[in-house]
Amino acid sequence: MSLNWWKSRSRLEEAPVPEEDPIVTSSLATPIAITSLLLVLTLIWAFYDEASGLRPWIGYQERFVGLYREALLELKPERASEEKAIYASEGYQELKAALEKAESDSQAQANEIGKEEGQVRGSLAAITKSFANARSQVQAKMYELETASEGDKASLQEELDELLAGPYEISLPSADGVTSESKSLDFEEFAKLFSSLKARQGRIGARKVQLARQPGELRRELDAYAKARLTGPNELQISRLISGLDQYRVEIKQIHSPEMGLVDRCQSCHAGILEPVTLTSENMGGEKVFTKHPNSSLLGIHDTEVFGCSPCHNGNGVGTVSVVQAHGKYKHWLHPLYFPENFEAGCLQCHEADRRLEHAPVLSAGREFFAKRGCAGCHAREGFENEAREFRELQKAIADLSNSRIETELEIERTVARADESETNEEAARLYSEAEERTLTIADLDTQMDRSRDRADELLMETKKLAPNLKEVKAKLRRDWLPVWIKDPKGFRPTTKMPEFRLEDEQVQAISAFIWQSGVEPRLEDQAPGDGERGKALFESRGCMACHSIGEGEEQVGGDFAANLSRVGEKVNYDYLVRWVHNPRERTLPYCPIHERDITPEDYAENGLPFDFGLDNNRCPLGDHSLQVQNPTTMPILRLTPGESRDVASYLITHKNEDAAYSAAPELDDPALAEKGRFLVRHYGCSGCHEIAGLENESKIGTNLTREGSKPIERLDFALLTEEAKSEGWYNHKGFFERKLADPAIYDKGKVKKPLEKLRMPNFHLSEEQKTQLTTFLLGSVDQKIPEKFHYRPGDRRKDIQEGWKVVMKYNCVACHQLAPGQQTVLRQLPLYQTDDGKELLPPPLVGEGARVDPNWLAPFLKNPALSETDTHRNGVRSYLQIRMPTFNLSNAEVQKLVRFFSASSQQTLPYMAPELKPLSAPELTMARQLFTHPAAPCLRCHATGDPKADQTATAPSFALVRERLKPDWTRRWIVHPEIIQPGTSMPSGLFEWDGKRWIFALADLPSMKDYPKDHADLVVRYMFQFTPEEQRRLK
Amino acid sequence: MDWHQLWVIVSAPDNIPIVAIVFLVPFFVWYGFRQSFATDRLIAKLEGDPKLAKVHHRKIEPYREGWEQKVHVWPYLLRVELLATIIVTVILMVWSITVNAPLEEPANPNLTMNPSKAPWYFLGLQEILVYFDPWIAGVLMPTLIIVGLIAIPYIDTNPLGNGYYTFRQRKFAILTFCFGFLILWLLLVLIGTFIRGPGWMWFWPGETWDHHRLIFETNVDFHEMLGIKSQPWIGLVGFLAVGLYVVVFGFLTHKLIVWTEFNRKIYARMTLLQYLTLQTLLVSMWALPLKIALRQLFRIKYVWVTPWFSI
Repeated sequence: MSLNWWKSRSRLEEAPVPEEDPIVTSSLATPIAITSLLLVLTLIWAFYDEASGLRPWIGYQERFVGLYREALLELKPERASEEKAIYASEGYQELKAALEKAESDSQAQANEIGKEEGQVRGSLAAITKSFANARSQVQAKMYELETASEGDKASLQEELDELLAGPYEISLPSADGVTSESKSLDFEEFAKLFSSLKARQGRIGARKVQLARQPGELRRELDAYAKARLTGPNELQISRLISGLDQYRVEIKQIHSPEMGLVDRCQSCHAGILEPVTLTSENMGGEKVFTKHPNSSLLGIHDTEVFGCSPCHNGNGVGTVSVVQAHGKYKHWLHPLYFPENFEAGCLQCHEADRRLEHAPVLSAGREFFAKRGCAGCHAREGFENEAREFRELQKAIADLSNSRIETELEIERTVARADESETNEEAARLYSEAEERTLTIADLDTQMDRSRDRADELLMETKKLAPNLKEVKAKLRRDWLPVWIKDPKGFRPTTKMPEFRLEDEQVQAISAFIWQSGVEPRLEDQAPGDGERGKALFESRGCMACHSIGEGEEQVGGDFAANLSRVGEKVNYDYLVRWVHNPRERTLPYCPIHERDITPEDYAENGLPFDFGLDNNRCPLGDHSLQVQNPTTMPILRLTPGESRDVASYLITHKNEDAAYSAAPELDDPALAEKGRFLVRHYGCSGCHEIAGLENESKIGTNLTREGSKPIERLDFALLTEEAKSEGWYNHKGFFERKLADPAIYDKGKVKKPLEKLRMPNFHLSEEQKTQLTTFLLGSVDQKIPEKFHYRPGDRRKDIQEGWKVVMKYNCVACHQLAPGQQTVLRQLPLYQTDDGKELLPPPLVGEGARVDPNWLAPFLKNPALSETDTHRNGVRSYLQIRMPTFNLSNAEVQKLVRFFSASSQQTLPYMAPELKPLSAPELTMARQLFTHPAAPCLRCHATGDPKADQTATAPSFALVRERLKPDWTRRWIVHPEIIQPGTSMPSGLFEWDGKRWIFALADLPSMKDYPKDHADLVVRYMFQFTPEEQRRLK
Repeated sequence: MDWHQLWVIVSAPDNIPIVAIVFLVPFFVWYGFRQSFATDRLIAKLEGDPKLAKVHHRKIEPYREGWEQKVHVWPYLLRVELLATIIVTVILMVWSITVNAPLEEPANPNLTMNPSKAPWYFLGLQEILVYFDPWIAGVLMPTLIIVGLIAIPYIDTNPLGNGYYTFRQRKFAILTFCFGFLILWLLLVLIGTFIRGPGWMWFWPGETWDHHRLIFETNVDFHEMLGIKSQPWIGLVGFLAVGLYVVVFGFLTHKLIVWTEFNRKIYARMTLLQYLTLQTLLVSMWALPLKIALRQLFRIKYVWVTPWFSI
C-alpha cells in the first residue's frame, strides 16, 4: 500500500487535473479549525501547568489545612482534660484562692480610689478648657511683651496685668457630684488649682498601680504554674489555631535570611514543620511531609529565621517545582538533601571544633571512630593528630627565633662599635641607648624561645600513636605470631582496631621479617612468676576493665577503648608484660626527633653520660633538645606494686586458646626479606599508626579527607562501576563512601592491576551502624558555605568546654567517670559494680567537679593522683577504693585544659580566689567538735580518719583534705542538700534543717549550741576548712 | 546496544533541535528535489509544445487554461501562513511546557566538562579541528566558508533557474551546494552531536559514553613518514605535497566544470576572475574530505608542517 502511495505521489503531473483551480477553491477551514482547537487545548494545558502543575505546593497546603484541622479537633479534648486536671490540682487551687483573696481585699480600696478619681476627673473636665485658653492668652501676651520695642512695652504690660488679674469664673462639681460650687480666681490661683488637680490625679494613678501590684504578681504566678505543667498548647490556644486555619492563605511560605544568604521555601510543602503541636504521620493521615520538626530544643538553639533549613539539611531551598528538584536530588544540584540517617552531617560545618555533640550522636560516634579506630593514621584531616605538625612548626619557629637572636646580637655589637667611634658625645649616647634597647629584644626572644621549647616538650608528651610501638617487638612478642596476626588480625582478635590488609603470603612474610628485624634489642629484667588468682582479682577491681575487655562475642565483658585480652597469652612475652603493666610508658630506647633515630647506650657513653632517661631527664646526649622518653600510648600508669604487676601479668598470660599453634618462621630473620618488607611497610603506610624504626617521619598515604564531602563527583573514582552506579542510582558521595567503607577494594573490581598498584585501603569489617556514622562524618566534611560568624567558635567558657572534651575523649575519662548528665560509664555496666555494695566501689562522678574542687588543687592532683611522691600505690583522695585513679603523665597544657573544662562546665570563674573564712572562736571550736563526735552524727562512721583499720571500711574522703581541696560554698550546699548535687549518693541528707532564718543541725539538740545564734552549717564548714591531721587524731 | 545512553543523548534539551534536523532536513531535501524533478519534466514538456508554452503560467501542476494567472495574497497566501503559524505555535508551546531550559550547576572554572562541546553551529568547526590545526580550522576555513557564500552570486554565471525549482538547469550549483552543506556541514554537526563523546572519542550510537575508555591512535606527520627530519626539507616536502594536490585537484575540478555541454556553455560566460575564484573555493573545499580520508586511512597528521601553520 505504502509503495503505491509513494508511486502515486512521485509524479505530480500525473494526478488528475481538477475542474476548479485548487488554489482558489480549496478550503483550509478544516485544518485551521483542527489546529486552532489544538492551540486552545495547548493554551489550557499551559495555564494548568503554570497554575498547578509547576506549583505542587498548592495541593500540599490545601491538604495540610484539612488534615491539620482534623488533628487539632482530635487533640482538643485531650488538651482540655489535661488543662482541667491542672486547674483542679491542689497547687493551682491554692494559688487561685490566694489571688481571689488578694483581689477581694483590694476591692474596697479600689472602689474608693475610683470614686476619688472620678471626682478629680470631673473637676478637671470643668476647668481644663477655660484654663488652657487663659494660659495661652497669657503666654502669647508675654511673648509679645518680651519681643516688643521699648515704646510698646508699657501698654503691653498693662494688657498683661489685666489678663493676670482675671477674674476667671469657674464652677467645680462638689463631692456629691450633683451640686457645684462657683469660684472666682485670678490667673495665679487658677494655675495653682489646675496643677494641684493634675498632681492629685497623678498620685491617684500611682496608688492604683501600687494596689494592683500584688494581685498582678499572683496572677502571673498562677498562669506560670499552669504553663509550666502543660505539655503543649492549652485548649484556648488550640481553638485559636483552629480558627486561624480558616484564614489560612495558600501561598509560598519562605524563610529569608540575608545574613546566611539563603531563601528556603521548604515550609511551602512541609507546612507543619514549625507548628506548636506535635504532628506525626499517623495523625496527619499517613503523610510524612506534614510532620513537625523533631527535637524542638535543637530548633530553640538554632533560630529557624536565621538558619533556615538548607544549611543543616542541604537540598535546594529555593525550589518549589517538584519534590526531586526541591530536595536537590537531580544531576546538577551539588548538595542533595541528606538522607535521614545522615542528617547530622549538616552539623559538622559549624561545629568542627566540638569533639562531642549532645544532639548529634551519630556524627560524634563517626568522629570518634575516625580519631581512634585508625582512619586518622592514613588519612590526614584538619583537626586530627595535630601534635606532629605543631611540633614541626615549632622547630621551625625555634630555628627562626634563634637566627633572629644571633642577628640581633651582631647588630648590638655593630651599634656599640659605631658608638665607640662616633664623633660627638650626643651621637655616642644615642647609639649606646639604642644598643641597650636591642638587648631587651634579646630578652624577649629568649622568653619566646623558652616558651617554644617548653611547648615542644609538651607536644612530645602529648603525641600519641593509635597503635603499639613496633620498636619493642623483640621484647614484647613471639616472633612466630607476627605473620599470623598480619595476615588476618580479625581472625586472632575479632574486636581489634587493626584492619585487614589484602596481602599475599609472600608479602606477609616480608613485612613480618622487616618489623621483627627493625625492633630494638630487648633490655628486660627477668621476672619471677606471680599469683594468677590474685592477679585476676586485681584485674577486675583495679579498673583495667574500664578500657580492656576479656571474653569474645556474647561473653565479652569490659570496655572497648583498648585491646581485648582474651588471647594475649599466645603472643606476649611474660617479662615484657610485667614491665608494661607496671609502667606502659617505659620504653627500651628513647627517640630523638631532631636526629630522627633512637638513642643508644653507646650514644650516651660517647658523651660521658650514664644510660638513663625519663620524664625528668629527657635531654638528648647529642644536642640541646628533648627526647621522646615515653611510649606514645594513652594507657596510663596504674601505680601497681611490682608484686601486683607480676600477679596481673601471670593472670593475663593464662589467656590463650589451648589449641592455637604457630608454625616456626625462621625466614623472619632473613635480611633480604626484610629489605622487601621495608618497601612494603612504606607502601602500605604502617607508620601512620605504629612507631617503626627508621619510618618515624613518613607522611600519611591516604587522601586528605578534610573536604571530601565537597569533592566534585567527577573526582571520585568509581572506576569500572561508574555506569552501574549511575544506572542503579548510587552515583553520589553517599553511595561512594558507603560502598568503599563496606569493601575498600571495590573500585578495583574488574581492573587489571599489578599487586602493588591495587588500592591499599584495608578492610575494617564495619557494622552497618559504623558505616552510617562514618558516612555521616565524611558527608559533613565540606567546604565552608555558611558565613564564618555562624561557626561555633566561642571565645569564652564554652571554648574551654570544647577543648576539654578533646582531652577527655583522648584519655577515655568517660569510661570510669560520669562527666555529663546522663552519660553512661563502662564501669557501671560491669558485674562487679551492679550490687548496692558494688556501687560504693565506683569512682566519683565528676559532674559539677568545677564547682566542688579548688582548681589550684585539681591541677597538681591530675599531675599526680597519688598526691604523694613516696606512697604512690594508692589513690590520693579515696585511698579506700580498690579501683585506681591512674597517672596519665599529662602535659601542663592538657592539665590546664582539663581544669578550665571543669570550671567552665560548672560556670565557675578562673582564677579562683578562695574566700577568707573567719577562724573559729574557742566556744565555736568546742561546739563543732561536739557536733562531729556526737553519737547521732554519722560523719566519722563513713569518712576516712587516717586510722588504717577504720579506713578499711571508709567510703568517703578524709576531712583533712577539705582545706586544700574543696570550695567552701560548695561544701555548704553539699552538707545541706547532697541529694541535689549527687542523686543517689550515700552521704545522708537531712543533716540540717531550715528554721526560717538559718540552718540548724537536725539530728540532735546539742546543749552547747542552744544559744548559738548563727548558722550551724556555716560553723561546720568553717570547722572543716581548718581541719588538720592533729585535729583528726584529737577527735578520736 | 545501550538504549539508555542513546535516549540520554537524544533527549538532552540541547539536542532536541538537532534531532528535529535529522528528520526535517532529509524531508525538505526530498521535497525540494521532488519539485525540481517535476519542474524539469514540465520544462521538457513545454519545450516540446510551444503553443502550450505561451499560455502555461504555472510553475507547478496542475494547470488548466482559463485559471487566474495571479491570485491575491489575501486570503490565499495568508490563510496558508495562518495555518503554518498555528502549527508552529502549538509545537513551540508543547515543547516549552514539556522540556525545561537546561540550567546546570554553577560554573566551576577548575572543572571542565567532558565532552566540552561548542554550540551546534560551531560543531562542524570543532569536528574539523580534529583534522586541521587551529589556524586552518578555526580561522582560514570559516573565513573561506563565509567569503565563499558571499561570493556565490558573483561567480554564478548560470542565468537559468531563477524563481523555480529545477535540477537539470543547475546541476553543478545544486550538487556543489548539497555536497558542501549536507556532507561537509550538516553531517559534521550531527557527528559532533551524536557521535563524539568523552575525550572527543568516536562512539557509535548505542555505545556507552565511558569516560575511562582508552584508545590507541598514533598519527604521524607526512614528512616523518618519509623519514625527513630537518628543515628546510620538511617545509619543502609539504609544499610539494600541497602543490601536487592543488595541481591535481585543480585539473579534476576543471574537468568537472567542463563536464557537460551545458557546463561548457556556462564556462564560456565566466571571466578569468570568476573562474579562479571558483577554482580556489572548490579546491579548498575538496581538501577537507581528502584530509579526513588521509587521516583515517593512513594516519597522517599533517601534510605540510611550517612554524606558522600546518595543513
